[in-house]
Amino acid sequence: MAELKTLDLRPGGQTAHVWEGGDPASSALLFLHPVTGIPRWGDALEALAKDFHVIAPYQPGWGPAKDDLPGVRDGLDLVLFNVDLLGTLGVDSAHVVGISIGAWIGAEIAAIRPDAVQSLTLVNPLGLWSENHPGEDLFAQHPGHPTAVLFSDPDKRAELLMEGRDALDAYVEELLDLRASAKFLWPIPDTGVGRRLMRIDTRTLVATSANDNIVAKEMGDIWRAAIPGAQSVELADSGHLADLEAPEALSNLVRDFTLSGA
Amino acid sequence: MKFHWFNLMPWPHLPDDFRETNRSVWVDVDSKLYDPVEGHRVYNEYLDQLEYAASLGFDGIGVNEHHQNAYGMMPSPQIMAATLARRTQDVTLLLLGQSIALYNPPTRVAEEMAMLDVMSGGRLVAGFPVGTSMDDNFCLGSNPATLRDKYRENHDLIRRAWEDPEVFSWNGEYNKIRYVNIWPRPIQKPPPIWIPGGGSVETWDFCAEMGYNYSYLSFNGYVRGEALMQGFWNRLGELGVEFNPFQGAFAQQIVVAETDDQAEQMYTEHLQYFFDKCLHVYPGFADAPGYRTENTIRAGLRAGGAQGLGIAHTLTWDDWVREGYIVAGSPDSVTEQIEALATKLQVGHLVALLHCGNMPDDKARASTKLFAEQVMPRVKHIWEDYEDHWSPKPIGSQHVATPAPVLSAN
Repeated sequence: MAELKTLDLRPGGQTAHVWEGGDPASSALLFLHPVTGIPRWGDALEALAKDFHVIAPYQPGWGPAKDDLPGVRDGLDLVLFNVDLLGTLGVDSAHVVGISIGAWIGAEIAAIRPDAVQSLTLVNPLGLWSENHPGEDLFAQHPGHPTAVLFSDPDKRAELLMEGRDALDAYVEELLDLRASAKFLWPIPDTGVGRRLMRIDTRTLVATSANDNIVAKEMGDIWRAAIPGAQSVELADSGHLADLEAPEALSNLVRDFTLSGA
Repeated sequence: MKFHWFNLMPWPHLPDDFRETNRSVWVDVDSKLYDPVEGHRVYNEYLDQLEYAASLGFDGIGVNEHHQNAYGMMPSPQIMAATLARRTQDVTLLLLGQSIALYNPPTRVAEEMAMLDVMSGGRLVAGFPVGTSMDDNFCLGSNPATLRDKYRENHDLIRRAWEDPEVFSWNGEYNKIRYVNIWPRPIQKPPPIWIPGGGSVETWDFCAEMGYNYSYLSFNGYVRGEALMQGFWNRLGELGVEFNPFQGAFAQQIVVAETDDQAEQMYTEHLQYFFDKCLHVYPGFADAPGYRTENTIRAGLRAGGAQGLGIAHTLTWDDWVREGYIVAGSPDSVTEQIEALATKLQVGHLVALLHCGNMPDDKARASTKLFAEQVMPRVKHIWEDYEDHWSPKPIGSQHVATPAPVLSAN
């Protein structure tokens, strides 16, 4: 089982809210959450924790770190947050797994601090833009159910994201998580990472979900082509939030790719 | 009580099947529905109506800002106010308003509003809305996560640009300018500032802190507006601000005819056009993530963006009148309703939306004339014991310049 910790990263720096699970003696795995944050220590993280020392921080602005959003302006600030977190935990390098906006952050870390990244798995990555494959506008959704579009079936939002939580608190967190996402992805999810992807020299896997309304399969191809030596794969039976919709397939995919290169 | 004539400037030719063929009147509305040559006629008709209202004794005439919007065709309120400044005298120019968070640098807003204040001889009211999510976030691309922070910085910069006589530097989060020193400077120091809003808790506190007028702009009418306006007054009371009705304004659809029956016959189709077509906003554009603050979300408030979610288009004339979506009927009926509105909302300024939907010019003028001549004189005494600190203080008549007559080429 995992523990939600609060850590001060460095004097004058950020505070991290981080889930930590698995055997600390195992290989470290940095999990970078999607636009919806980490609603709970879920099945995907639990499965990964069987093989890895899982480190799953809320990025500044998400979940319990909602008030930290003004402290981060851009991708570099997010890279420094995650690098500082690994340093605070005594982890020199980790396998990095990012979903959705987390994939963008993971790619930035790999481009800027390659020594900190043992392997890179990017799932349904946001951060590049193509007019030919815009996908649904993740921010132009009905305010009553703003993340329904992220699921292969909109009804899954209630079951997978909201269930078991106070309704108002979960709704507020849903909107604030999207607010944090908007800070970096508004109005078009072009973060500029495209100029840095060629710097990535880590083993990289790009995965797209078959039923993702936001990130088209063709976008996965664009990411793969931009990262030297990257491989790609498709996840069946999932929408954008593969950690919630396909936890077993996701954890199997990560385990197989990550350990195959060990 | 003071009365300001306002026209949203809708496009009057949306087709009967507009709701079925367009998902939204705003943001991604079909531009092929617009005809620029007819637009030339419509602009001039609408501007003539504003000038006509001024001639009938309204205290103010109002313009506002919307983008990519078939019911509000004023992307630049300054341009509209500039033409009105030259062709009117005495009347307040209610610029309600400019979404100041959108402009970089906002010193441009400070400059243009100063120009208007000087051109008009100190008749400007400066409206500083946060703006709707449709305009700010979806049409002009402003980031909703930083919108309110940027709004506050831009406000502070505009105020200082108007009032600091020295050249100064501005090193902000969103604006960096080495030399700020606008020319011209406004006559009023500063012009009265009104904050149009739709129910954000933070906006109430801002008005209290700064002493600004809060203008509740809703198309849901004065009956539904009561709870929200009361929230504003209660908040001011909690913060120790002395009650003055002129610190509040309310926008209301109004139509007047000789009799109640005549009003229904004359205006139903135009109000239906407004509620059915002009408020047909795609809900996904109403509330970008971050546009509402956490406090406002928790308070269950909409913060102005979601007028299109209303149900008015499904109602009848009797419903509209009973539920206050419209103030309507004979001069006697309208007078009674205005008295009820003033009592419920306790506002000193009424923004009277006397042109509605696709109303033709003759009806807009007839309604406006009846209101000015047979309603306003009977209700303007309301709140006369209070001093209005939120209206302009123009230069004296001895200083007012008169534009020369238009010369013919012949």
